[in-house]
Amino acid sequence: MSRSAQHLQEAADWLTRLQRPEVEETDWLAFDAWLNEPGAQEAYDAIQAVDEEIFQRGAAVRGELAEPKRAAAKRAFQIDWRWLGGLGAAGAAAAVALVVAPWGELLPASDTLYTTAKGENRAIALADGSHIDLNTDSHLSVRLEKDARRVTVHDGQALFDVAHDQARPFLITAGDETVRVVGTKFDVRRRDGQLTVTVLRGLVEVSTDGDDTPVRLRPGQMLEHVEGASGVTVRKVAAEDQVGWRSGRLIYRDEPLGRIVGDMNHYFDRPLRLEGENTANLRFSGVLIVDGQDAMVRRLTSLMPISATPSDDSIVLRGRPSAPN
Amino acid sequence: MADVGDLLGVTDSDKAALLGLYEEKRANLVRFFAARLGSRAEAEDLVQDLYIRISGMDSLGPVDNPSALLHRIGSNLMLDRLRSQKRSGTRDSDWRSVNTTVVAGHEVADEPAADEVVASRQRLKALVEAVEDLPEKTRQAFQLHKLEGHSHMETARRMGISVSTVEKHISSALKTLTRRLR
Repeated sequence: MSRSAQHLQEAADWLTRLQRPEVEETDWLAFDAWLNEPGAQEAYDAIQAVDEEIFQRGAAVRGELAEPKRAAAKRAFQIDWRWLGGLGAAGAAAAVALVVAPWGELLPASDTLYTTAKGENRAIALADGSHIDLNTDSHLSVRLEKDARRVTVHDGQALFDVAHDQARPFLITAGDETVRVVGTKFDVRRRDGQLTVTVLRGLVEVSTDGDDTPVRLRPGQMLEHVEGASGVTVRKVAAEDQVGWRSGRLIYRDEPLGRIVGDMNHYFDRPLRLEGENTANLRFSGVLIVDGQDAMVRRLTSLMPISATPSDDSIVLRGRPSAPN
Repeated sequence: MADVGDLLGVTDSDKAALLGLYEEKRANLVRFFAARLGSRAEAEDLVQDLYIRISGMDSLGPVDNPSALLHRIGSNLMLDRLRSQKRSGTRDSDWRSVNTTVVAGHEVADEPAADEVVASRQRLKALVEAVEDLPEKTRQAFQLHKLEGHSHMETARRMGISVSTVEKHISSALKTLTRRLR
Protein backbone atom coordinates (compact mmCIF):
# COMPACT_ATOMS: atom_id res chain seq x y z
CA MET A 1 0.00 0.00 0.00
CA SER A 2 1.38 3.40 -0.91
CA ARG A 3 1.97 5.91 1.83
CA SER A 4 -1.03 8.01 0.96
CA ALA A 5 -3.25 4.95 0.69
CA GLN A 6 -1.97 3.90 4.10
CA HIS A 7 -2.90 7.30 5.51
CA LEU A 8 -6.35 7.19 3.96
CA GLN A 9 -6.97 3.78 5.49
CA GLU A 10 -5.86 4.98 8.91
CA ALA A 11 -7.98 8.10 8.56
CA ALA A 12 -11.02 6.01 7.62
CA ASP A 13 -10.35 3.72 10.58
CA TRP A 14 -10.24 6.73 12.86
CA LEU A 15 -13.41 8.28 11.54
CA THR A 16 -15.24 4.97 11.92
CA ARG A 17 -13.96 4.57 15.46
CA LEU A 18 -15.08 8.10 16.35
CA GLN A 19 -18.57 7.27 15.14
CA ARG A 20 -19.11 4.50 17.66
CA PRO A 21 -21.90 5.29 20.08
CA GLU A 22 -19.45 5.51 22.99
CA VAL A 23 -16.28 7.48 22.52
CA GLU A 24 -13.87 7.97 25.42
CA GLU A 25 -11.45 10.64 26.45
CA THR A 26 -8.62 8.28 25.51
CA ASP A 27 -9.97 8.11 21.95
CA TRP A 28 -9.66 11.86 21.67
CA LEU A 29 -6.13 11.89 23.09
CA ALA A 30 -4.97 9.14 20.73
CA PHE A 31 -6.72 10.75 17.76
CA ASP A 32 -5.09 14.10 18.54
CA ALA A 33 -1.70 12.39 18.72
CA TRP A 34 -2.24 10.53 15.44
CA LEU A 35 -3.06 13.79 13.66
CA ASN A 36 0.50 14.94 14.33
CA GLU A 37 1.84 12.41 11.85
CA PRO A 38 2.77 13.97 8.54
CA GLY A 39 -0.04 13.59 6.00
CA ALA A 40 -2.59 12.51 8.60
CA GLN A 41 -4.58 15.75 8.67
CA GLU A 42 -4.98 15.93 4.89
CA ALA A 43 -6.02 12.29 4.71
CA TYR A 44 -8.52 12.69 7.53
CA ASP A 45 -10.02 15.86 6.06
CA ALA A 46 -10.53 14.11 2.72
CA ILE A 47 -12.22 11.12 4.38
CA GLN A 48 -14.38 13.31 6.59
CA ALA A 49 -15.53 15.45 3.65
CA VAL A 50 -16.71 12.36 1.76
CA ASP A 51 -18.37 10.97 4.87
CA GLU A 52 -20.21 14.25 5.35
CA GLU A 53 -21.31 14.29 1.74
CA ILE A 54 -22.71 10.78 2.11
CA PHE A 55 -24.48 11.83 5.29
CA GLN A 56 -26.01 14.85 3.58
CA ARG A 57 -27.02 13.04 0.40
CA GLY A 58 -27.81 9.65 1.88
CA ALA A 59 -31.46 9.70 0.84
CA ALA A 60 -30.59 10.63 -2.75
CA VAL A 61 -27.94 7.92 -2.98
CA ARG A 62 -30.36 5.41 -1.51
CA GLY A 63 -32.97 6.40 -4.08
CA GLU A 64 -30.56 5.95 -6.97
CA LEU A 65 -29.39 2.59 -5.70
CA ALA A 66 -32.98 1.37 -5.81
CA GLU A 67 -33.15 2.07 -9.55
CA PRO A 68 -33.31 -1.55 -10.79
CA LYS A 69 -36.36 -2.17 -8.61
CA ARG A 70 -38.06 0.81 -10.16
CA ALA A 71 -37.35 -0.38 -13.65
CA ALA A 72 -39.01 -3.66 -12.81
CA ALA A 73 -42.08 -1.86 -11.52
CA LYS A 74 -42.35 0.15 -14.71
CA ARG A 75 -42.20 -2.93 -16.88
CA ALA A 76 -44.97 -4.46 -14.84
CA PHE A 77 -47.25 -1.61 -15.73
CA GLN A 78 -49.46 -3.50 -18.12
CA ILE A 79 -52.53 -3.03 -16.09
CA ASP A 80 -55.67 -4.87 -15.92
CA TRP A 81 -58.09 -4.32 -13.15
CA ARG A 82 -58.29 -7.74 -11.63
CA TRP A 83 -57.07 -6.34 -8.35
CA LEU A 84 -60.42 -4.67 -7.97
CA GLY A 85 -61.88 -8.12 -7.61
CA GLY A 86 -59.82 -8.89 -4.56
CA LEU A 87 -56.41 -9.31 -3.09
CA GLY A 88 -55.48 -12.34 -5.15
CA ALA A 89 -54.29 -10.43 -8.16
CA ALA A 90 -51.04 -9.20 -6.72
CA GLY A 91 -49.14 -9.56 -9.97
CA ALA A 92 -51.68 -7.72 -12.03
CA ALA A 93 -51.67 -4.27 -10.53
CA ALA A 94 -48.74 -2.05 -11.18
CA ALA A 95 -48.08 1.10 -9.30
CA VAL A 96 -50.74 2.19 -6.87
CA ALA A 97 -54.39 1.59 -6.53
CA LEU A 98 -56.52 3.37 -4.06
CA VAL A 99 -59.89 2.18 -2.91
CA VAL A 100 -62.29 3.12 -0.20
CA ALA A 101 -62.30 0.16 2.12
CA PRO A 102 -61.99 -0.15 5.87
CA TRP A 103 -59.11 -2.65 5.82
CA GLY A 104 -57.28 -0.68 8.43
CA GLU A 105 -59.87 -1.47 11.02
CA LEU A 106 -59.34 -5.18 10.49
CA LEU A 107 -55.64 -5.13 11.24
CA PRO A 108 -54.58 -6.99 14.35
CA ALA A 109 -53.32 -4.82 17.16
CA SER A 110 -49.84 -6.31 17.17
CA ASP A 111 -48.39 -4.04 14.50
CA THR A 112 -45.12 -2.24 15.03
CA LEU A 113 -45.98 1.35 15.82
CA TYR A 114 -43.72 4.15 14.61
CA THR A 115 -44.18 7.59 16.07
CA THR A 116 -42.48 10.95 15.81
CA ALA A 117 -42.69 13.74 18.37
CA LYS A 118 -43.25 17.34 17.40
CA GLY A 119 -40.25 18.59 15.49
CA GLU A 120 -38.87 15.10 14.87
CA ASN A 121 -38.25 13.27 11.59
CA ARG A 122 -37.61 9.58 11.32
CA ALA A 123 -36.31 7.31 8.58
CA ILE A 124 -37.65 3.76 8.74
CA ALA A 125 -36.04 0.96 6.77
CA LEU A 126 -38.35 -2.02 6.51
CA ALA A 127 -37.03 -5.55 6.28
CA ASP A 128 -38.46 -5.92 2.74
CA GLY A 129 -36.22 -3.10 1.44
CA SER A 130 -38.90 -0.42 1.48
CA HIS A 131 -38.25 2.92 3.12
CA ILE A 132 -40.57 5.23 4.96
CA ASP A 133 -39.65 8.77 5.99
CA LEU A 134 -41.94 9.91 8.75
CA ASN A 135 -42.65 13.61 9.18
CA THR A 136 -43.16 15.46 12.45
CA ASP A 137 -45.94 14.48 14.86
CA SER A 138 -46.94 11.40 12.87
CA HIS A 139 -48.06 7.92 13.75
CA LEU A 140 -48.13 4.83 11.59
CA SER A 141 -47.98 1.12 12.11
CA VAL A 142 -46.43 -1.59 10.00
CA ARG A 143 -47.08 -5.26 9.74
CA LEU A 144 -45.11 -7.46 7.37
CA GLU A 145 -47.01 -10.63 6.64
CA LYS A 146 -46.25 -13.54 4.38
CA ASP A 147 -48.71 -12.49 1.72
CA ALA A 148 -48.97 -8.74 2.28
CA ARG A 149 -47.18 -5.74 3.68
CA ARG A 150 -49.59 -3.57 5.61
CA VAL A 151 -49.17 0.00 6.77
CA THR A 152 -51.72 2.13 8.56
CA VAL A 153 -51.30 5.89 8.63
CA HIS A 154 -53.07 6.89 11.82
CA ASP A 155 -52.17 10.54 11.54
CA GLY A 156 -49.50 12.63 9.90
CA GLN A 157 -47.36 12.49 6.80
CA ALA A 158 -44.97 9.97 5.34
CA LEU A 159 -42.96 9.46 2.19
CA PHE A 160 -42.97 5.88 0.93
CA ASP A 161 -40.36 4.33 -1.29
CA VAL A 162 -41.65 0.84 -1.81
CA ALA A 163 -39.55 -2.12 -2.86
CA HIS A 164 -41.08 -4.13 -5.65
CA ASP A 165 -42.42 -7.50 -4.53
CA GLN A 166 -45.14 -9.01 -6.67
CA ALA A 167 -45.91 -11.72 -4.19
CA ARG A 168 -46.59 -9.34 -1.35
CA PRO A 169 -48.69 -6.27 -2.15
CA PHE A 170 -47.96 -3.17 -0.13
CA LEU A 171 -51.18 -1.89 1.35
CA ILE A 172 -51.49 1.47 3.02
CA THR A 173 -54.62 2.41 4.88
CA ALA A 174 -55.26 6.05 5.63
CA GLY A 175 -58.66 6.78 7.05
CA ASP A 176 -61.32 5.43 4.74
CA GLU A 177 -59.00 4.84 1.82
CA THR A 178 -56.47 2.20 1.02
CA VAL A 179 -53.47 2.70 -1.20
CA ARG A 180 -52.13 -0.34 -2.96
CA VAL A 181 -48.58 -0.28 -4.14
CA VAL A 182 -46.20 -2.22 -6.29
CA GLY A 183 -42.92 -0.34 -6.16
CA THR A 184 -43.09 3.40 -6.47
CA LYS A 185 -42.48 6.56 -4.50
CA PHE A 186 -45.11 8.86 -3.15
CA ASP A 187 -46.16 10.97 -0.21
CA VAL A 188 -49.23 10.30 1.93
CA ARG A 189 -50.58 12.96 4.23
CA ARG A 190 -53.48 12.53 6.60
CA ARG A 191 -54.26 15.55 8.72
CA ASP A 192 -57.52 16.83 10.14
CA GLY A 193 -59.71 14.54 8.07
CA GLN A 194 -57.97 15.42 4.80
CA LEU A 195 -56.02 12.91 2.81
CA THR A 196 -53.57 13.73 0.03
CA VAL A 197 -51.45 11.41 -2.07
CA THR A 198 -48.65 12.93 -4.16
CA VAL A 199 -46.72 10.83 -6.65
CA LEU A 200 -43.00 11.39 -7.16
CA ARG A 201 -42.20 8.32 -9.23
CA GLY A 202 -44.12 5.54 -10.92
CA LEU A 203 -47.77 5.48 -11.81
CA VAL A 204 -50.74 5.49 -9.52
CA GLU A 205 -54.18 4.19 -10.22
CA VAL A 206 -56.96 5.39 -8.00
CA SER A 207 -60.35 3.87 -7.56
CA THR A 208 -62.96 5.06 -5.15
CA ASP A 209 -65.68 2.79 -3.92
CA GLY A 210 -68.90 3.40 -5.83
CA ASP A 211 -67.13 4.99 -8.75
CA ASP A 212 -66.04 2.55 -11.42
CA THR A 213 -63.88 4.96 -13.38
CA PRO A 214 -60.34 4.78 -12.12
CA VAL A 215 -58.16 7.86 -12.04
CA ARG A 216 -54.59 7.61 -13.19
CA LEU A 217 -52.06 9.69 -11.28
CA ARG A 218 -48.67 10.50 -12.74
CA PRO A 219 -45.63 11.99 -11.07
CA GLY A 220 -46.40 15.60 -10.22
CA GLN A 221 -50.07 14.97 -9.60
CA MET A 222 -51.75 15.13 -6.24
CA LEU A 223 -54.96 13.49 -5.19
CA GLU A 224 -57.07 15.08 -2.49
CA HIS A 225 -59.87 13.49 -0.56
CA VAL A 226 -61.97 14.52 2.41
CA GLU A 227 -62.57 11.59 4.72
CA GLY A 228 -66.17 10.49 4.73
CA ALA A 229 -66.97 12.35 1.52
CA SER A 230 -67.29 10.61 -1.81
CA GLY A 231 -65.01 11.44 -4.66
CA VAL A 232 -61.56 12.84 -5.05
CA THR A 233 -59.93 15.77 -6.81
CA VAL A 234 -56.68 15.64 -8.71
CA ARG A 235 -54.45 18.57 -9.49
CA LYS A 236 -50.99 19.24 -10.77
CA VAL A 237 -48.42 20.18 -8.14
CA ALA A 238 -44.69 20.55 -7.84
CA ALA A 239 -44.28 17.17 -6.20
CA GLU A 240 -40.97 18.11 -4.60
CA ASP A 241 -42.78 20.89 -2.73
CA GLN A 242 -44.89 18.31 -0.98
CA VAL A 243 -41.84 16.58 0.40
CA GLY A 244 -39.88 19.71 1.32
CA TRP A 245 -40.49 18.66 4.93
CA ARG A 246 -37.81 16.00 4.52
CA SER A 247 -35.19 18.73 4.33
CA GLY A 248 -36.75 20.96 6.95
CA ARG A 249 -38.68 23.18 4.57
CA LEU A 250 -42.35 23.94 4.16
CA ILE A 251 -43.05 25.09 0.62
CA TYR A 252 -46.24 26.90 -0.33
CA ARG A 253 -47.69 28.26 -3.52
CA ASP A 254 -50.67 30.46 -2.84
CA GLU A 255 -51.89 28.58 0.23
CA PRO A 256 -54.15 30.04 2.94
CA LEU A 257 -52.56 31.01 6.24
CA GLY A 258 -54.87 28.52 7.97
CA ARG A 259 -53.07 25.66 6.26
CA ILE A 260 -49.63 27.01 7.15
CA VAL A 261 -50.58 27.48 10.79
CA GLY A 262 -51.98 23.95 10.82
CA ASP A 263 -48.68 22.61 9.52
CA MET A 264 -46.58 24.64 11.95
CA ASN A 265 -48.64 23.47 14.89
CA HIS A 266 -47.43 19.95 14.21
CA TYR A 267 -43.87 21.07 14.92
CA PHE A 268 -44.21 23.01 18.17
CA ASP A 269 -46.00 22.52 21.48
CA ARG A 270 -47.17 26.11 21.85
CA PRO A 271 -50.04 26.50 19.36
CA LEU A 272 -50.50 29.35 16.92
CA ARG A 273 -54.04 30.69 16.94
CA LEU A 274 -55.73 32.81 14.30
CA GLU A 275 -57.93 35.75 15.16
CA GLY A 276 -59.75 38.23 12.95
CA GLU A 277 -62.27 37.64 10.26
CA ASN A 278 -60.22 36.86 7.20
CA THR A 279 -56.90 36.03 8.78
CA ALA A 280 -57.11 32.32 7.97
CA ASN A 281 -57.72 33.07 4.30
CA LEU A 282 -54.72 35.33 3.70
CA ARG A 283 -52.58 33.75 1.00
CA PHE A 284 -48.91 32.89 1.19
CA SER A 285 -46.30 31.77 -1.33
CA GLY A 286 -42.77 30.96 -0.33
CA VAL A 287 -40.44 28.70 1.55
CA LEU A 288 -40.52 28.48 5.32
CA ILE A 289 -37.44 27.02 6.94
CA VAL A 290 -38.42 24.94 9.93
CA ASP A 291 -36.22 26.09 12.79
CA GLY A 292 -37.40 27.89 15.91
CA GLN A 293 -41.05 28.78 16.34
CA ASP A 294 -40.32 32.41 17.18
CA ALA A 295 -38.06 32.79 14.16
CA MET A 296 -40.69 31.25 11.88
CA VAL A 297 -43.40 33.53 13.23
CA ARG A 298 -41.13 36.54 12.81
CA ARG A 299 -40.57 35.70 9.16
CA LEU A 300 -44.27 35.14 8.56
CA THR A 301 -45.13 38.53 10.05
CA SER A 302 -42.54 40.21 7.86
CA LEU A 303 -43.85 38.51 4.73
CA MET A 304 -47.57 38.83 5.36
CA PRO A 305 -49.86 41.60 6.61
CA ILE A 306 -50.25 40.02 10.03
CA SER A 307 -49.13 40.74 13.56
CA ALA A 308 -48.18 38.23 16.24
CA THR A 309 -48.98 38.49 19.94
CA PRO A 310 -47.35 35.87 22.11
CA SER A 311 -48.92 34.78 25.36
CA ASP A 312 -47.95 32.04 27.77
CA ASP A 313 -49.84 29.26 26.12
CA SER A 314 -50.18 30.38 22.51
CA ILE A 315 -49.22 32.88 19.85
CA VAL A 316 -52.08 34.83 18.33
CA LEU A 317 -51.83 35.85 14.67
CA ARG A 318 -54.11 38.59 13.45
CA GLY A 319 -54.49 40.35 10.10
CA ARG A 320 -53.26 43.93 10.22
CA PRO A 321 -56.39 46.06 9.69
CA SER A 322 -54.83 48.75 7.53
CA ALA A 323 -52.98 46.32 5.30
CA PRO A 324 -54.28 45.78 1.79
CA ASN A 325 -55.32 42.19 1.58
CA MET B 1 -8.83 37.69 45.49
CA ALA B 2 -6.03 35.62 44.09
CA ASP B 3 -6.07 33.57 47.29
CA VAL B 4 -9.74 32.72 46.93
CA GLY B 5 -9.05 31.75 43.34
CA ASP B 6 -6.29 29.41 44.48
CA LEU B 7 -8.62 27.76 46.95
CA LEU B 8 -11.09 27.08 44.19
CA GLY B 9 -8.34 25.69 42.07
CA VAL B 10 -8.61 28.46 39.53
CA THR B 11 -6.19 31.19 38.66
CA ASP B 12 -6.01 33.47 35.69
CA SER B 13 -2.92 31.65 34.57
CA ASP B 14 -4.77 28.29 34.63
CA LYS B 15 -7.40 29.75 32.39
CA ALA B 16 -4.86 31.41 30.13
CA ALA B 17 -3.07 28.07 29.81
CA LEU B 18 -6.31 26.30 28.94
CA LEU B 19 -7.21 28.93 26.36
CA GLY B 20 -3.72 28.62 24.92
CA LEU B 21 -4.13 24.86 24.64
CA TYR B 22 -7.52 25.43 23.05
CA GLU B 23 -5.95 27.52 20.30
CA GLU B 24 -3.42 24.77 19.70
CA LYS B 25 -6.03 21.98 19.61
CA ARG B 26 -8.80 23.91 17.93
CA ALA B 27 -8.43 22.41 14.43
CA ASN B 28 -8.21 18.86 15.79
CA LEU B 29 -11.22 19.38 18.04
CA VAL B 30 -13.17 20.43 14.95
CA ARG B 31 -12.01 17.25 13.20
CA PHE B 32 -13.05 15.15 16.17
CA PHE B 33 -16.54 16.60 16.46
CA ALA B 34 -17.05 16.66 12.69
CA ALA B 35 -16.96 12.86 12.80
CA ARG B 36 -19.41 12.77 15.69
CA LEU B 37 -21.85 15.30 14.21
CA GLY B 38 -21.50 14.40 10.53
CA SER B 39 -20.89 18.06 9.73
CA ARG B 40 -17.78 20.19 9.79
CA ALA B 41 -19.83 23.39 10.01
CA GLU B 42 -21.68 22.05 13.06
CA ALA B 43 -18.36 21.09 14.59
CA GLU B 44 -16.91 24.57 13.97
CA ASP B 45 -19.93 26.00 15.69
CA LEU B 46 -19.60 23.67 18.64
CA VAL B 47 -15.90 24.37 19.08
CA GLN B 48 -16.67 28.09 19.02
CA ASP B 49 -19.17 27.49 21.83
CA LEU B 50 -16.46 25.63 23.66
CA TYR B 51 -14.29 28.75 23.58
CA ILE B 52 -17.12 30.85 24.96
CA ARG B 53 -17.72 28.30 27.68
CA ILE B 54 -14.09 28.22 28.77
CA SER B 55 -13.72 32.01 28.71
CA GLY B 56 -16.72 32.36 30.96
CA MET B 57 -15.68 29.75 33.51
CA ASP B 58 -15.18 30.87 37.12
CA SER B 59 -13.96 27.61 38.49
CA LEU B 60 -11.86 25.03 36.73
CA GLY B 61 -11.26 22.62 39.57
CA PRO B 62 -8.00 20.73 39.59
CA VAL B 63 -6.92 20.02 36.03
CA ASP B 64 -4.52 17.14 35.63
CA ASN B 65 -5.11 16.72 31.90
CA PRO B 66 -6.22 19.93 30.19
CA SER B 67 -6.58 18.32 26.78
CA ALA B 68 -8.95 15.73 28.23
CA LEU B 69 -10.88 18.56 29.85
CA LEU B 70 -11.37 20.24 26.47
CA HIS B 71 -12.77 16.97 25.18
CA ARG B 72 -15.07 16.56 28.17
CA ILE B 73 -16.56 20.05 27.99
CA GLY B 74 -16.93 19.75 24.21
CA SER B 75 -18.69 16.39 24.54
CA ASN B 76 -21.12 17.81 27.08
CA LEU B 77 -21.87 20.71 24.77
CA MET B 78 -22.46 18.22 21.96
CA LEU B 79 -24.91 16.19 24.03
CA ASP B 80 -26.80 19.36 24.95
CA ARG B 81 -26.96 20.21 21.30
CA LEU B 82 -28.18 16.79 20.20
CA ARG B 83 -30.81 16.84 22.89
CA SER B 84 -32.25 20.19 21.91
CA GLN B 85 -31.79 19.75 18.21
CA LYS B 86 -33.54 17.00 16.34
CA ARG B 87 -31.85 14.98 13.67
CA SER B 88 -33.35 16.92 10.80
CA GLY B 89 -32.29 20.22 12.29
CA THR B 90 -28.71 19.09 12.64
CA ARG B 91 -28.56 17.79 9.14
CA ASP B 92 -30.04 20.83 7.48
CA SER B 93 -28.35 23.61 9.35
CA ASP B 94 -25.96 24.25 6.47
CA TRP B 95 -28.73 24.48 4.00
CA ARG B 96 -30.59 26.74 6.35
CA SER B 97 -27.85 29.26 6.97
CA VAL B 98 -27.06 29.48 3.28
CA ASN B 99 -30.64 29.82 2.12
CA THR B 100 -32.40 31.78 4.81
CA THR B 101 -32.54 34.85 2.60
CA VAL B 102 -34.83 32.90 0.33
CA VAL B 103 -37.55 33.43 2.87
CA ALA B 104 -37.52 37.16 2.26
CA GLY B 105 -38.87 36.59 -1.26
CA HIS B 106 -42.55 36.03 -1.78
CA GLU B 107 -42.01 33.59 -4.57
CA VAL B 108 -40.22 30.29 -4.32
CA ALA B 109 -36.83 31.43 -5.46
CA ASP B 110 -34.41 28.79 -4.29
CA GLU B 111 -33.79 27.16 -7.64
CA PRO B 112 -30.06 26.68 -8.00
CA ALA B 113 -28.43 27.68 -11.27
CA ALA B 114 -28.76 25.11 -14.04
CA ASP B 115 -25.04 24.36 -14.19
CA GLU B 116 -25.00 23.74 -10.43
CA VAL B 117 -27.84 21.29 -10.83
CA VAL B 118 -25.93 19.46 -13.53
CA ALA B 119 -22.74 19.39 -11.45
CA SER B 120 -24.68 18.17 -8.46
CA ARG B 121 -26.32 15.40 -10.48
CA GLN B 122 -23.01 14.32 -11.93
CA ARG B 123 -21.52 14.21 -8.47
CA LEU B 124 -24.44 12.13 -7.22
CA LYS B 125 -24.03 9.75 -10.15
CA ALA B 126 -20.32 9.34 -9.39
CA LEU B 127 -21.15 8.68 -5.75
CA VAL B 128 -23.77 6.08 -6.60
CA GLU B 129 -21.48 4.33 -9.08
CA ALA B 130 -18.69 4.21 -6.54
CA VAL B 131 -21.05 2.65 -4.00
CA GLU B 132 -22.30 0.12 -6.54
CA ASP B 133 -18.74 -0.93 -7.33
CA LEU B 134 -17.91 -1.78 -3.73
CA PRO B 135 -17.48 -5.49 -2.93
CA GLU B 136 -20.82 -7.05 -2.01
CA LYS B 137 -20.39 -7.37 1.77
CA THR B 138 -18.75 -3.96 2.03
CA ARG B 139 -21.56 -2.37 0.06
CA GLN B 140 -24.14 -4.07 2.22
CA ALA B 141 -22.54 -2.87 5.47
CA PHE B 142 -22.08 0.60 4.02
CA GLN B 143 -25.69 0.78 2.93
CA LEU B 144 -27.11 -0.40 6.25
CA HIS B 145 -24.96 1.94 8.32
CA LYS B 146 -24.39 5.03 6.19
CA LEU B 147 -27.53 5.15 4.07
CA GLU B 148 -30.12 3.59 6.35
CA GLY B 149 -28.73 4.88 9.60
CA HIS B 150 -28.36 1.62 11.51
CA SER B 151 -25.74 1.50 14.25
CA HIS B 152 -22.61 -0.61 13.84
CA MET B 153 -24.18 -3.13 16.19
CA GLU B 154 -27.52 -3.34 14.39
CA THR B 155 -25.70 -3.65 11.05
CA ALA B 156 -23.67 -6.52 12.50
CA ARG B 157 -26.83 -8.23 13.73
CA ARG B 158 -28.53 -7.94 10.34
CA MET B 159 -25.53 -9.24 8.45
CA GLY B 160 -24.69 -11.92 10.98
CA ILE B 161 -21.10 -10.73 11.39
CA SER B 162 -19.14 -9.13 14.23
CA VAL B 163 -19.15 -5.41 14.99
CA SER B 164 -15.44 -5.16 14.30
CA THR B 165 -15.94 -6.73 10.86
CA VAL B 166 -18.69 -4.20 10.18
CA GLU B 167 -16.30 -1.41 11.11
CA LYS B 168 -13.67 -2.82 8.78
CA HIS B 169 -16.17 -2.86 5.91
CA ILE B 170 -17.32 0.70 6.63
CA SER B 171 -13.79 1.98 6.90
CA SER B 172 -12.73 0.23 3.72
CA ALA B 173 -15.76 1.66 1.91
CA LEU B 174 -14.88 5.19 3.04
CA LYS B 175 -11.32 4.81 1.86
CA THR B 176 -12.38 3.47 -1.55
CA LEU B 177 -15.02 6.18 -2.05
CA THR B 178 -12.63 8.93 -1.02
CA ARG B 179 -9.95 7.75 -3.44
CA ARG B 180 -12.46 7.68 -6.27
CA LEU B 181 -14.27 10.89 -5.53
CA ARG B 182 -11.76 13.43 -4.38
